[in-house]
Parts: sequence; C-alpha cells; structure tokens
Amino acid sequence: MAKHQTEYVTLVSSDGFEFKVTRSAACVAGAIKRMLDPSSNFKEAVENRCVFENINGVVLEKVCEYLYFNEKHRDSKDVPDPDIPPELCLELLMAADYLDV
Amino acid sequence: MIAGRGRQKIRPPRRGVHGEEIDFENTWAIIASAFREIHTKNASKLSYEELYRHAYRIVLKKKGEDLYRRVRDFEHEWLSNEVRGSIQALLTANLLASTQIIGGTTANERRTAGERFMKGLKQAWEDHQVCMAMLADVLMYMDRVYCTDHRRPSIYSTSMVLFRDDILSSVSSEEDSPPILVLLNHVILEQIRMERDGDVIEKALIKSCVYMLEALYDGQIETEGQRLYVTSFEEDFLNSSRDFYRAEAELMLRDSDAGAYCRHTRRRIYEEQDRCRSTLSDTTTPKIEKVVEDELIKNRIHELIEMESGVRFMIDNDRLEELSLIYDLNARVDNKKTELMRAIQKRVVEMGTDVNNAAIAASQVQSALSEGADKGKGAVQEKNLNQQTIAALKWVEDVLQLKDKFDEIWRESFGSDQPLQTALTRSFADFINASTFPRSSEYISLFIDENMKKGIKGKTENEIDLVLEKAIVLLRYVQDKDLFERYYKKHLCRRLLMQKSISNDVEKQMISRMKIELGNNFTMKLEAMFKDMTISEELTSGYKAHVAQLGDPDPKRIELGINVLTSMTWPLESMGSSGDNEEGKKLKCVFPPAIERIKKGFEKYYGEKHSGRTLTWLAAMGSADIKAVFPKVPQKDGSLKERRHELNVSTYGMVILLLFNDLPADQFLTFEEIQARTNIPKSDLIRNLQSLAVASKTRILMKDPMSKDISETDRFSFNEGFQGKFHRIKVGVVTSGNKVESDRERKETEKKNDDSRAFCIEAAVVRIMKQRKELSHQQLVAETLNQLAPQFKPDVSMIKKRVESLIEREYLERIEGASVDSYRYLA
Repeated sequence: MAKHQTEYVTLVSSDGFEFKVTRSAACVAGAIKRMLDPSSNFKEAVENRCVFENINGVVLEKVCEYLYFNEKHRDSKDVPDPDIPPELCLELLMAADYLDV
Repeated sequence: MIAGRGRQKIRPPRRGVHGEEIDFENTWAIIASAFREIHTKNASKLSYEELYRHAYRIVLKKKGEDLYRRVRDFEHEWLSNEVRGSIQALLTANLLASTQIIGGTTANERRTAGERFMKGLKQAWEDHQVCMAMLADVLMYMDRVYCTDHRRPSIYSTSMVLFRDDILSSVSSEEDSPPILVLLNHVILEQIRMERDGDVIEKALIKSCVYMLEALYDGQIETEGQRLYVTSFEEDFLNSSRDFYRAEAELMLRDSDAGAYCRHTRRRIYEEQDRCRSTLSDTTTPKIEKVVEDELIKNRIHELIEMESGVRFMIDNDRLEELSLIYDLNARVDNKKTELMRAIQKRVVEMGTDVNNAAIAASQVQSALSEGADKGKGAVQEKNLNQQTIAALKWVEDVLQLKDKFDEIWRESFGSDQPLQTALTRSFADFINASTFPRSSEYISLFIDENMKKGIKGKTENEIDLVLEKAIVLLRYVQDKDLFERYYKKHLCRRLLMQKSISNDVEKQMISRMKIELGNNFTMKLEAMFKDMTISEELTSGYKAHVAQLGDPDPKRIELGINVLTSMTWPLESMGSSGDNEEGKKLKCVFPPAIERIKKGFEKYYGEKHSGRTLTWLAAMGSADIKAVFPKVPQKDGSLKERRHELNVSTYGMVILLLFNDLPADQFLTFEEIQARTNIPKSDLIRNLQSLAVASKTRILMKDPMSKDISETDRFSFNEGFQGKFHRIKVGVVTSGNKVESDRERKETEKKNDDSRAFCIEAAVVRIMKQRKELSHQQLVAETLNQLAPQFKPDVSMIKKRVESLIEREYLERIEGASVDSYRYLA
C-alpha cells in the first residue's frame, strides 16, 4: 500500500504495448486521473499501472501523443490541430469518450 | 467531412458498439460486490479500470437507468442495514435521557455518551463521503453521460440525500424517541451549554458534525437557506442561547455590579464569536451576536445603567474603564447610545444642580446670618457680600471641575464620540441656564474679574491661556449673553478705572477671545472702553504739556490724571452709588477751589480740542494722592517728630480732607456741615467718613463720639496724632472691588437688562418685518428668537409686549381678517 507518487506511470494497451508517460500528462484524461487518485487507492493507484482492456496499442499511442500535446498547449491559444490519421478517427473518438479526455 | 475525402478508407472499430452482448445482471453483481469491498475499505484490490469499463458498457447499452437505480438501492440498503445499526447502538439511555430531561444521569456520563454518539456519527459520515466519492469516480461515465442527459442529480448528491433520509431522519428502534438529527441537535446544544458553564468540550468533533449538517440540504433545492444546519440546528441554537442569556442577565443583574456585568457581557460576546469560529459555523456569528446583544444589552441596558452600581456610580467614582465598557456595549445595540446619553445627561444636570444649590445655599446661609446680627449691619453685609463672592468663585471652579471630569470621561471612555459631546454640552447649558439659578452670567464675569485682578499673577502665559480658555468654555454655555456683557462691562470698568487689572495684554487677549467666540457686536463696546482709556492717557499727557507751556510754575500745582469716558459705552450708572437718585436729581459735588481751578482749566483745554462735548465729572470714581504733613505732637514713645505721609484717597475723600486744611486745629465740622459744603451724596459721604475716621489704620479724622457707625450728628476733627507705619497710605473705600451684587442691585441690573432687551427685541422685530413686510405671529416670534439666540433667549411674552408696543407706535399693524394672527410692516 505504499503511496509513493512516481513521476511516470505506465499505460498498457489491450494488445500488451506499454507506454510510460508522465503522471501529469496522464492525468489530463479524467478517467486516468481518477484511476490514479491516491485517496481512493484502487489497484491502479497502488501499482501506478493502468491496463486498458478496450484500447489497442495503435490507438493508445495516439492517445498518449495527444495527452502530451494537450499538456504542452494547455495555456496557449491558437493551437494547431494535432495530426490525426483519418483511419483512426472513430476509434480515437471512442477512446476519448471512454477516457474523458 | 471525412467521408468527403473519398479515397481514404475508414476502418470500422474492431469491436463495435453493438458488438458483444453483456449480461447486465452479471456485470451488476461484479460491480455490487466491488462496492461492498469499497465500503469495507478494501479498494486496493480492485481494478478501477475494470469497474469503470463495466459501468461504461452498461451505460453504452442504454442501461444507465437501471444502473442508477441499482446503485441507489444498494446504498439505501447499505445505509439502513449496516450504518444505521451502528449509530443506533450508540443511543444509550444516557443520551436519550438528556433529551427528555430526566435526572439521574450525571453531566459527565451524558457528556461522554454525547461525545461517543457524535464520534460515531462523524465516522459514519466521513466513511460515507469517502466511499461515495470513490463510487462516483467509478461511475463517472454514468454521471457524465446518463445523469446529464436525463437531468438526474449526480450519484454523489443522491447518495448524500440518502444519508440524510436513512440515517439522520431515521427513528431509532424505540418508540417515541426522536430522529437522529434531533438527537444530534440536542447533543450539540448540551455540549455548548457545558462550554458556556466553563467545561472544556471537543470543539473539533462538533465542528465536523456541523460540517455535515452544512453539507446536507433540507429539500431538493440546494440553496444557502436550505442547509440542514440552518433549517434544523441554527434556530434551536439561537433559541436556546436566548433562553440561556435571558436567565443569565437576570441573575447577573441581581447578583453582581454593573462593571462586572459589562465585563461579563463583553466576554460572552467574544466567546460566542470564538465559538462560531471554532465550533459552529461563521454564518451564525452575526445571528448569535445579535441574540447576546439583545438579551444581555438591549433589553437590559436601562436596568444596567440605572443599577446602584450603574453609570451614576461609575461617574462618581471615575470608573473610566467600566464607562468605556458600557459605551461599547450600548454602541453595539444602539448607534445613538440613547440610554447612556440619557443617563449621562441626567447625571450632569444633577451634579450641576448640586453645584448651583451649593452656591445658592452658601449665599443664603450668609444672608440669614446677617439678618440675625443686628449690630454692625453694614459690616456684616459687607462680609456677606464677600462670602457670596467666594461662593461665586467656588461655583465657577466647581462647574469647571465638573466639565473637566466629564471631558475626561468623554475622551477616555466614550472615544470622543460626537453625539455624546453635543449631549454633554446641552446638559451643561441646561443647568447653567437653569431658571432656578439666574446668577451664572454674573459669576462667570466675577471669575474672570478675580483672575484678572489676582489669579493670573505670577502665572506663565500658558497657564493664563488655560484660565482664559476655561472662562470662554463656560461662556459658551451661557444663554443670556447680554446679561453677561452687562456684568463684564461693569467689572471691566472698575478694573480699568481703578487700575486693578494686572495686565492689559491679558485683558485684550480675553476680549479677542470673546470676539472669536461671540462675534464683533459683543465686544465692540468693550473695545471702545479700551480705546477710551488710551485716548484718556493721551489727553492727560497732552494737558500736562499744555499746562507746562502756560508756564505757571505753581509750587502747589496739582497734577491731574483724567479718564474721559464715552457715556454710551461705559456702564457709569452702575458705578455711581444708587443713593444719589433719592432726591430725583443728581447732586453736583462742590470741589475745593484749587481743584475747581484745574477742572476749569481742563474743561477749557478739552473744549478746544473737541467742540460740542460736555464733560460730566464723576467724582465718585476718582482717587487722589495727597501729601499731608502731620504736626509735631508727642508720640507714644515721647518723641516729637513731624511726619509726612502720602495719602491715597478717593476723590470724595480728598474733598473732605481739604475742608480740614483751612480749619484751625481745635475746630471740628459736623456731618451736616461737611455734607452741605461738599454736596457729596449721603451714602458716599458716610462710606468715605467711615474709612477716614473709623478704620483704625487710616484714622486721619477724629470722630466724636467714637463709635463704629456714622450718624448725622457726629462731629469730626483732624487727627493730629495720626501715626502710620508706611510713608504711603492707601485709604480704601468700602465696596470698591467687584463683588456679587446684593439682591437690590441684582434687581436693578435685571431691570436694566430687561429694558435693553426690550430695545433689542424691538430692533429685531422691525428688522424682520422690514424685510418680510407681512408675517404671521408664530413666524415672527420664531424668527425673532432665532435672531436673538446668540445674545439671549427672550421671553415669548416679552416679544408679544414689544410687538404690541410697536403696533401702538404704528410701526406695525394687524392684518384684519387673516386666518392666523398676522402683522404688516408700516413704512
């Protein structure tokens, strides 16, 4: 139950890809933020590792990209649209809905 | 837009929304068991992602409604079955007893029971909050999608409502016992009562219960006024506090003194503020303050101030700190501080009346004495007047002391509060101008006189300033400024003519102060008096030079110092003795030839300078220095020695003495002879002879028979054997100083004053009517009063009389047929 707050957390896709992202970037997503909330102390918070059963590696990679992108441009205006391949659009939308990005 | 791109192919998601069917019941079972784990604090075994995904799926399957209901039911059951039981277990008999006011349980037992109860409740509440936060996290997707779409309150607030209904509003197993919420109120109130009685209680615990009440709302609407805290607790709290403080106020008023009461009240207010901060809610602070203020101050302030140890006692004993407390307390509930003001005013008037009465008593005791003593009546009356003068000075000192005292109280205790100062001023004016005490003007003028003559001797400028300032302060209170002016003029006149004043500068300073305070009009005549003095000096020296020029070196020359006074500005009538009016005409004193010659000379000189002016000689006011040689007669020590003395006597005295110059040594003059040859008014003659022939130190004349009183048959001869210790001898004439007037004098002064007032009123009326042409009686009176306010406060009946007189003399006329009495000005 060690409540150590690591700088990086691991996001795992349904097909086993692991992404190490900074905690602050990961918490841009509402669902991940709650998942890692130390006060609720779910399994994810204890292990600093989130497994997403319904998101595959390709999509998760894009999600991670976006998380960083969002964090980077958090306070700025006139941000250019992120580069999103059209073939991933629908899946990304679903993931965004799921993760509350 | 994407479709428009044509070439590119959008891959369908691998698992479609409609993909795998899920079993709602199974999924719910998983979720429900997980919730149970959460409630038992085993969350770390659970995967958030998994639960979240299940809830997500259910909502995606349009089963949000079911999920929502299930969760609610789950919580309801959990609360009613698990939590409520544990809370009710805490409801011991002790606790219930306290609500039903059954004796038999000690305070300590009740208190521990109460604390345990609150602790349990607080624990349950906190657990509930934490768990529901976690549940809400897990069900985030439901909240986000289902609840917003269907306008349902979020699952978190729903569960809070559940807590209120299932726990707080639940009735414990026993019959007729109140709901938990009511119990909680009782417990908290009791704890607060304990604290008020001096116990130490667990503030943090109560505070967390209050937090709970604040977080919950009474109905569905979440507004400030609907907080459970406000609807259920606060009112109880305020009511019970009101009862508590009402009882306390009664007890305190009965058992302790006002100072203690004030201190206690202030402490209570601080305590309540503190309690709101540390134990209850800040929103209650103003409300409970008001309760305390109402009960301890507002409803009690009157009794408090009237207490034996109330304001009166504090003033008398200079309890500045307590007065300041009272002031603070009263200021809290009443911006105007009415009660305090009333009490203070009353006390000022009381004390002022005491001072007045003391002065009156002092003068009356003396007059009673003088009536008792027949013999030597004149002397006793003299003494009596002196006593009265002392009484007058004492009165002024007392009033000043009173003023100082209240000023200090005002400054130290009342924070220099403006309205209170006005009130104080009004009270001072009230008693100084009280109709039962008409002498204030005279006394103040006497006070200044005394200081001008003696008081300021050897004082620094600052001290003099202080004295003058004091006089002005008193003057400010006086309403009948014209009466004061009359007295002041009279006293100033004496000072100037007899050169009693210590410093002309100070006199002028005083006048310029009065000028600032009362305006030009007031001091015009006073200044004119000074001017006359200066002109007179010039005249005297001018005349001296004139005589020297004439070159008539008469060895027996008499030097003349003269004061020419404008008769309008100087209150000469009050200087002269009243006796000279007895025969209806003024008697002219017959001067000896030597003097008569000089008099003529000066009249001529003056006539050359100012034509058309008449000089009237006022012998009663002058003084003369006479060089007298007493022949060699055997002294007590047997030596034969010629003695020379310089005698300073009044002009009349000089005239009398000069009669004896031509008289052989063994001859005498009778009283009648003296009177016939000098034409000096009888009363003045008596007084002068008294000082020349009766007073032992200045017995220049011998009287036969030797007695203390002068009678008309007495005979006088020159006292050749006169002996004086000093070369220069001052023959004082009785009543040359400024003293309180005798009753007769006062009546005269008042009459004169009334006469001059009559003129003032007429002038004012005419001025007003000239401007307004037509005016109703009421308005005219009001305006007249207004105009004359800086000078004096005229009688309404007097105004009426003056108006009548003006109508008679055809300055005004009545307007016929006007609905109210009105006048018209006749040009």
